[in-house]
Amino acid sequence: MTGRPSRRQLFGYAGAAAAGAAVTGGFVALDNDDPVVVARYVDPHGDHQPAIAAASPKHAELVALTLLPTTDKAGLGRLMRLWTNDIVALSAGRPAPGDTAPELSVPGVALTVTAGFGPKVFTMPGLVKPRGFSEVPVMSHDRLQPGWSGGDLLVLVGADDAVSVVHAVRRLVADAAPFAKPLWRQTGFWNGTGPDGQPVTGRNLFNQVDGTGNPAPGTPEFDSTVWSPDGWTSLVVRRIQLNLDTWDELTRSEQERAVGRKLSNGAPLNGTAEHDELDLEKRDADGRLVIAENAHARLSHHSVNDGRRIFRKGLNYVQDNGPTRESGLIFLSYQADLVSQFLPLLARLDAADALNEWTTTIGSAAFAIPPGFHEGGWLGQKLLS
Amino acid sequence: MSGDTLGVPAGGNSDRASVVGLSVKTKLLMAGLAVALPILLSSCGSSEAPPTQAAATTPGVLVEDAWVRATIGAKDTTMTAAFMSLTNPGKSDISLTSATSPVAGMVQLHEMSMKDGKMVMQEKTGGIKVPAESHAHLAPSGDHVMLMGLKQPLKPGDEVPVTLRFSDGSSHDLTVPVKAFTEEEEHYHPSTTPSPTP
Repeated sequence: MTGRPSRRQLFGYAGAAAAGAAVTGGFVALDNDDPVVVARYVDPHGDHQPAIAAASPKHAELVALTLLPTTDKAGLGRLMRLWTNDIVALSAGRPAPGDTAPELSVPGVALTVTAGFGPKVFTMPGLVKPRGFSEVPVMSHDRLQPGWSGGDLLVLVGADDAVSVVHAVRRLVADAAPFAKPLWRQTGFWNGTGPDGQPVTGRNLFNQVDGTGNPAPGTPEFDSTVWSPDGWTSLVVRRIQLNLDTWDELTRSEQERAVGRKLSNGAPLNGTAEHDELDLEKRDADGRLVIAENAHARLSHHSVNDGRRIFRKGLNYVQDNGPTRESGLIFLSYQADLVSQFLPLLARLDAADALNEWTTTIGSAAFAIPPGFHEGGWLGQKLLS
Repeated sequence: MSGDTLGVPAGGNSDRASVVGLSVKTKLLMAGLAVALPILLSSCGSSEAPPTQAAATTPGVLVEDAWVRATIGAKDTTMTAAFMSLTNPGKSDISLTSATSPVAGMVQLHEMSMKDGKMVMQEKTGGIKVPAESHAHLAPSGDHVMLMGLKQPLKPGDEVPVTLRFSDGSSHDLTVPVKAFTEEEEHYHPSTTPSPTP
């Protein structure tokens, strides 16, 4: 093995070395002969875990784990160092150390891993809960199933390629076995790329452009929405069944009225382009509000929520059982302060959102997401040292 | 059991334990990384690395992806091996000349070779060479750092400190995770195994 390194091995290291250059998770062309082939590498290092501000991956899997009774603060630290090593290798397309199937790790698929801590972690002696982090209470419309809720640890893997996601999850879960065991797994997919190859907002399975109201990464608004002063954020994961059968019984205009946006491009019903401002006062010729009182876009808009915002991401899912298929959305919300930003918004939507008629939340979990790590550091180092 | 950080005094140094491959010789490493970028990119692409850049500093070896095979459940729990990838971004060959670990009575650098039609393990004289601008991959069935005379079984989830010394005078203190791995039985339990002399 000490002979001339293979091209693939060199790629792995070149990818790792390029980290310094691709600070923002940029694009690295691996094959100069074919300009069409553009492989992506997201640098795992940084002040924040990088997937949060990056575009939604095409394929993703979330695994929530339960800590074993023997896992203490020191054990959790060992797991985080272990995972950090794995994440650095897997992101660069190298096999995780000790991988029994190393050929399944390939570079250029924009693989990212995000890890977080559930509420129980902060009951360990000496571990201080981040400000504004809490569990999410059960809402009146929730029909939660234990199989999709809670968790002491979260790992969220995303990539352009489903094989890479599945394999990375396999390694991360296997390496966690001495410390934690899986509680639930959710697999999802998202199309955030338009026909011209440019990033677009993406659609859920209701055909809605989903996520238009988000603050844009790289803006002060995004930073203040997502990051706490010490670099943490929180992630709410809600598994929401979409009743496509009854949704499909609506006319197109009824569907648009429920959400307050046009299905064609996500524009508010008072506007023409996706990012046009909502006009919540505008009325039609009959005197009806153009964006209805109970429209999802109105109720979730920051102007009616005391300026509170969240950063929404989503993954579509399907769950097949023999001939039947359940369809839904893995709702992901990032916010600096879960209690003051997310909970009031959730309560408002639970009470009145028109979409509640066609949606049922069956899973709910909350995780505190520690800052990123730099060269020589590891995930959760400040918390667990 | 969720494992332990082995071979360190009670109270541990987990505060300072750094991720594998990113040892306490941070300055040396960072210098290595900065130089590694142009050279390694050039080694798989077409652009040429400015030759003066490498000459300006003498970068050390970059250690990545280190792990140690668990011994729990093995026939012989007194020995195991550490594996890793070594990258030498410099213009001169560097060798891994020795390694030590507080969990092992003796540590040797080993290679695997065919002898009378059988794969056998033997000490690698002269150490493990990391060629200039290239890599050495220490992996199962290949070169490895042999940990012998283990003071206790190693289980997945443990961490073991390992110090590597190189021919350029540099050294790396690593905290290496222990991982489960199903090894070819004969590789690390050959009948010709030298008896550890702690």
